[in-house]
Amino acid sequence: MKIELRKLRHVYPTGDEALKGIDLVIEGTEPVAIIGQNGAGKTTVVKHFNGILRPTSGEMLINDENICNKTTAQCSKLVGYVFQNPDDQLFLESVRKEFEFGPRQIGMQENEINERIKMVSEMVGLQDKLELHPFDLTSTEKKFCTIGAIIMMNPSVVIFDEPTCGQDVEGNQRLRSIIDTLQKEGKLCITISHDMKFVVHNFKRVIVMCKGNVLLDGDTEYVFSQVDTIKKSFVTPPPITRVAQKAGLEKTVFTTDAFMQVIESYRKER
Amino acid sequence: MGKVVLEVKDFCFRYRQTKRKALNKLNFKVEEGSFFCIIGANGSGKSTLCNALVGLIPHYFVGKMSGEIYVEGLKVEDSTIAELSSQIGLVFQNPFNQLSYTAGTVEEELAYGLGNRGMAREEMIQKVAHVAKLMRIEHIVNKNPLELSGGQVQRVAFGSTFIMEPKILVLDECTTQLDPLGSEEIFDIVKELNQKGITVIMVDHDMERVARCADQVMVLDQGAIIAIDTPKNIFGNPEIVAHHIGVPDFVEICQKLREKGYMDREIEVTEEPTIELVKEVLLG
Repeated sequence: MKIELRKLRHVYPTGDEALKGIDLVIEGTEPVAIIGQNGAGKTTVVKHFNGILRPTSGEMLINDENICNKTTAQCSKLVGYVFQNPDDQLFLESVRKEFEFGPRQIGMQENEINERIKMVSEMVGLQDKLELHPFDLTSTEKKFCTIGAIIMMNPSVVIFDEPTCGQDVEGNQRLRSIIDTLQKEGKLCITISHDMKFVVHNFKRVIVMCKGNVLLDGDTEYVFSQVDTIKKSFVTPPPITRVAQKAGLEKTVFTTDAFMQVIESYRKER
Repeated sequence: MGKVVLEVKDFCFRYRQTKRKALNKLNFKVEEGSFFCIIGANGSGKSTLCNALVGLIPHYFVGKMSGEIYVEGLKVEDSTIAELSSQIGLVFQNPFNQLSYTAGTVEEELAYGLGNRGMAREEMIQKVAHVAKLMRIEHIVNKNPLELSGGQVQRVAFGSTFIMEPKILVLDECTTQLDPLGSEEIFDIVKELNQKGITVIMVDHDMERVARCADQVMVLDQGAIIAIDTPKNIFGNPEIVAHHIGVPDFVEICQKLREKGYMDREIEVTEEPTIELVKEVLLG
């Protein structure tokens, strides 16, 4: 799977230039995180990946094919987008119906739909809530319902827009396992998040956006070592990384284990 | 204990069509001017409690309720939401649920509550301008609230609660859509209000923030209170932490340093003291 943006610009009808000519290639199955300040263009950029938004100029290619002439329905077989606000996505009267809707639109066979409902509902933890009305779910269950509804369509690329909003420890673990499972199935997950702990623990590649441009793109350790640059996009490294940086440790660390290793080697050297 | 501004007595609530009590026999008091944080796993009753404190339960959400809540001496059950709104204000978890959906512009949205209160136009215009500046949304006051980004709507939601000048602010995970520094900016404003004497009751999953802000932390699990104590006593107690709550990264660092015998002091729960401690360990 390969997503490629060439000089992609997007100007909203209001005249706001949300994307100012982005060049970007995302390839393979390694999960990618997109971070950056509010209004940086994160959601706008990912909405191009499945044709919800169309470039004002520039090109949007999937597997080297320009998708500008394809419909959103055609694109959504390949790329699924999980909305930021569940209420923007959910509209049917049961979780099961939400799960069935997308696959039917793309012509999936009924027996495959039924098999997938079993697998996906367990993956998102809603196997016992299939007959409930989405409005009777808690806010986090709603989020998992929207995630399930997209995975049901079996897209090659899954885009999560702020999946960590309001998630507790368990919710974050479930998200992590969903991303792991999808990667093992050969799918590419792209995630927008403001939760830096979640980002550093789950992604090896991070793209930082700022004011309609890509500010930084690379290895997670590299990105979070560029403290002054990422600050321009209203991002700070996660707490453990900040402590290490401010205490004068040179290595960029994300876990307590890594932190302790650095401390130990430092003490040995002395 | 200083003056009590909020008191919850034997409070229970069960939503219609559910078997389990969402809140089970809650008893606690909040002191004037304090920063009181509520933490717990999803489904532990945090948002339900917020709704009960501001009167959305029982005036808006239907269910089986018992016990009492007093806000500045007003019994919530017997007071109207309008009466309560000058005492206590809630910033919703999902800012889109807070919008009035009748305002055509952000300016009108901010003025909505004041208009209901019958405030004079001139005074309203002044207050709206002040709050828009405070929330850094001056540049979008003429936009339609439905055309804004999640982060912008969250700022508008904050503004429309602040503008009512409640004595108690209830914040229900209200910066989830903001970027890290943007959300710090909002909390700087909240802390400033708190220092001026406004009581803050905050629900949040960001344990670093809870540890930094809170005077008192209340842990909920399955609708019941597990503990109310200072951040250090809460996060330093493994039995409490076992109730599905996370701890600040700083606590984990301190605990590891202690395990390894690199230090034998009590744990720290905030950033600056942890950095100092790590520096000492590096020298030692």
